[in-house]
Amino acid sequence: MIDKELLKKYARLLMFEMKEEEYTTLQEEFDVILKQMDLIGNIQNISEVEPMTFPYKNTDVVLREDEVGDYLTVDEVLSNAKYQVNDQVKVPRVVEEDI
Amino acid sequence: MYRQDTIMELREQLDKKETTKEELFEKANKLAHTFQEEYNSFVTIIDKPKFKDRDSLLSGIPYALKDNFSTSGILTTASSNILKDYVPVYDSTVYKKLKNAGAVLVGKTVLDELAMGGTGTTGHTGIVRNPWDKSRMIGGSSAGSAASVALGIVPYAIGSDTGDSVRKPAAFGGLVGFKPTYGRISRYGLFAFASSLDHVAYFTRNVKDSAIITDVLKGYDPQDMVTLKDDGKKYLDSIDNDIQGKKLFYIKEICDREYYKDSNDKELLEVLDKFHELLDKCRSLGFEVEEVSVDKKLLEAVYPTYMCISCAEATSNNANLTGIQFGPRGEGVTTQEIMFDARTKGFSELIKRRFILGSYILQKENQEKLFLNACRVRRLIVDKITELFKEYDGLILPASGGIAPKFDASSEKLSDRYLLLENHLAIGNFGGFPSITLPYGMVNDMPIGVNITGRVKDDELVLNMANKIESVTGFKNIIAKVGDIDV
Amino acid sequence: MYKVVIGLEVHCELDTVSKNFSAAPNKFSEYPNENVATVDLGLPGILPVANKEACRKALLTALALHCKAPDEVIFDRKNYFYPDLPKGYQITQNTKPMGINGYLDIMVNGKMKRVDIHDLHLEEDTASLEHFPKYSLIDYNRSGVPLIEIVTEPCMESADEAVQFLEDLRDVFLFLGVSEAKSNYGQMRCDVNISLMEENATKLGTKVEMKNINAFNNVRAAIEYEIKRQSEVLSSGGKVVQETRRIAEDGKTYSMREKVDALDYKYFIEPNIPSTPLTEEYIEKLRSSLPELKLDRYLKYIEKYNMSDYDAGVLSKERPISDYFEEVLSYGSDVELSVNFVTTTVLGTLNKLEISLEDFFITPKMLSEVITLVRDGKISLDHARKILYQAIDEKVDPNELIKKQNLHQINDEGELLKLITEIMDDNLEIVRQYVEDGNRSAVNFFIGQTMKRSNRQANPNKSMEIIKEELERRKNNAK
Repeated sequence: MIDKELLKKYARLLMFEMKEEEYTTLQEEFDVILKQMDLIGNIQNISEVEPMTFPYKNTDVVLREDEVGDYLTVDEVLSNAKYQVNDQVKVPRVVEEDI
Repeated sequence: MYRQDTIMELREQLDKKETTKEELFEKANKLAHTFQEEYNSFVTIIDKPKFKDRDSLLSGIPYALKDNFSTSGILTTASSNILKDYVPVYDSTVYKKLKNAGAVLVGKTVLDELAMGGTGTTGHTGIVRNPWDKSRMIGGSSAGSAASVALGIVPYAIGSDTGDSVRKPAAFGGLVGFKPTYGRISRYGLFAFASSLDHVAYFTRNVKDSAIITDVLKGYDPQDMVTLKDDGKKYLDSIDNDIQGKKLFYIKEICDREYYKDSNDKELLEVLDKFHELLDKCRSLGFEVEEVSVDKKLLEAVYPTYMCISCAEATSNNANLTGIQFGPRGEGVTTQEIMFDARTKGFSELIKRRFILGSYILQKENQEKLFLNACRVRRLIVDKITELFKEYDGLILPASGGIAPKFDASSEKLSDRYLLLENHLAIGNFGGFPSITLPYGMVNDMPIGVNITGRVKDDELVLNMANKIESVTGFKNIIAKVGDIDV
Repeated sequence: MYKVVIGLEVHCELDTVSKNFSAAPNKFSEYPNENVATVDLGLPGILPVANKEACRKALLTALALHCKAPDEVIFDRKNYFYPDLPKGYQITQNTKPMGINGYLDIMVNGKMKRVDIHDLHLEEDTASLEHFPKYSLIDYNRSGVPLIEIVTEPCMESADEAVQFLEDLRDVFLFLGVSEAKSNYGQMRCDVNISLMEENATKLGTKVEMKNINAFNNVRAAIEYEIKRQSEVLSSGGKVVQETRRIAEDGKTYSMREKVDALDYKYFIEPNIPSTPLTEEYIEKLRSSLPELKLDRYLKYIEKYNMSDYDAGVLSKERPISDYFEEVLSYGSDVELSVNFVTTTVLGTLNKLEISLEDFFITPKMLSEVITLVRDGKISLDHARKILYQAIDEKVDPNELIKKQNLHQINDEGELLKLITEIMDDNLEIVRQYVEDGNRSAVNFFIGQTMKRSNRQANPNKSMEIIKEELERRKNNAK
């Protein structure tokens, strides 16, 4: 079974915490999914298959021409920010050490 | 009889001036409010609509939109506390296209939080109930959209489908649920769950209506790089084409009655019996229907593969939810603390568990075995189905192994057989295949659905075939009987 | 003495019209949050749309640095939380960078040094944070600006090498026209990794990282300080701690944090940007469009044109000057005269008027025509200069001026003879003095007259010869 402390570390890295009992549920879920993934590892020659990211090969893809298009007004940028000063989003002083 | 009316019928009434768009909206709005407390379809019900007359079949006709489509000036929560006060400043392409078609928005519908779920029970404003039986779920994540159409509030509703989030609730709600080819419709403004699997999809009460919506929504969008060039077709035009000699296959390992003969799940057996009856009806329509065998290992891999890929992408896609530039601000002394607090309070525990799973899967030391292996299986499955599509025009399978589950149903039902029947719809997302669910029977007074999946970009044929099959199911244009209410 | 090993990670903002993944303007902002699209703010539902020109410029730079280009353009997500990263991930390239395994040759104190490039990748800049005593402010203008990151191998051994590499790399950006690379605007900045090892050790020492240094002289100061600091630690028997340090205004470096375990960025391919194939043809086309870079030009000037080190340096230093010079040469102009005119008249004027070549009136074509006249002895060097300055002043083609002022030398022997015959016929007494008395001063008289009557346009040497011949002829005829 996966280590609970490890799961707590992942939670911290994802910037949240969970109730203690949730980690137990999560341990069980991990148990199920990891077992199933073990089975996948057993599929013959799986390691030789190229991982798929895009559902199919899209030949219609075009890169964007370098032109200015729609963008937001300053008011729109800030419209959902709870704290602002001088048209900028305000947060507690960021010291690089804390993150 | 507004509640039963199809898009085409409402169009006719409007064109003949038998009704007005204002009147239609009023009916929809009234129904939305009437059913809200009991069924909880909506996060937001629009009371002051904006009308535009446009030369479109959808002009003046009410619809509902899942609350994970960005709507400028209208609250959009994704049914999560972390977005409970978020009012977007931009329109999703889908919403913009519908506005331009003169479609009338009735409300934003409840979903499973951040579209991550299949029960319709995890939204921050409460559970969504199945109009066919209030003690049952309608499924998710597009639960409110499904309920709003099944209740007859609107003739169609937009949802999103990452694993089966439209096509499964469609089955549980007696609706048509269509997910076109990946890239057929722009995802710009659809809150991302798992970007490589996310599709715009919708509920209607018949296949033709789905074609009408597709014709309005499809097309290249410079804001979404995965969108396809427009094929210049109107799918409605070819919906009645002849299907003589079209070939369908079903997968033996998923729906052969033999596999389940020892099961005491009566509903499951009835679903399968009715499915095989439907296949016979298809044959009599002129379809060739064959049984095909697919490696069970691959089929069993569908669910874990889906979990790995979707959770991994979701962890990243939702990393913007920190309460800094939008959303509720967390409490704390440092910026890290306020982000931490916003996320801790903003997500339900289920979401957090999924994120941790996704994060674990992507960790350097696990990525090869978990994430990349999942991506590899995805290719094997898609290649297998694509290969079969060289010979066959469509894959036909029951959308689910049963009827809509009860709210108190435990999940102990998990046998591997059950897994295959309940999770194969994700194949349509893996390969971006066009895929449609339609009602084909009733079991214990609850609707059941059949799914037809076709080749990438062959949306036209999928709609065409589904339309033909619909003609023999006897379950076209059904809505839930909810008391005597009508308007 | 310890062996110093330095590796650099250089970031440079690309000069494009719009941002890397949105259509918001990529330009110097006057006001906070005025150049921000939905994508740059990381709003729910946004999708990145990759900028073609940013891709082209990144690839071009990769090719200029002799990197191997990929067979397709794809991006990856680098996942981490930071207040300046609105999406919670940065779109970058991990799986297939725009270039791998390249190099840049630099000249350090007269010696060639090859700096190996591990990779060059295209990514996006973060928002900018401004810190105040009690709070910080976020401005999203910079969020999504196209950025290339060039990662060198740990292969430099001194501050001189590192700084020279940075300067030369900046020149590469400028020569390619991919960025203005102004370090004072933060357009070019770098992280320095430095470790010390025993002279004959085989294993690299403990690495210290210094992040986000803008000015090149700070890079030098930081490296020199670290060499001294780490040497002292090691020679006193201590161990260098693996950590991130920052350089302060006093030129010293201070520890920011020890490296606990490296953050796992959970890279995966960006699913919203489908692969765009890069064909061999496209890469070749791009490669063939590469301009010759500074060092190549410098070496060419010395080897092919026998220029002095100084002149070669001056003429290869900036792309516009070098291009101007080479265009002058392309019209077949004399090399020595071209060097002379470009380094003195052209550069002198640019300096004096404080203008750039763009605003300089004399085109290479005009200059080359003047140079040809000088080479052919049709006008003198001094005159040419005067004419050029006048042309710059009056904004007229110098060749028009030459024509207008009739400054063309009369070189035609028939024309000269006709003029000289006329003058002699008008001054038969002077001719007689020569013919009969052998008065040599007659020659000078006729030269003077010829120049006077021709408005000083007669070619003096030719005139002298013709005068002498004519006088001799008349002398012989008189016999």
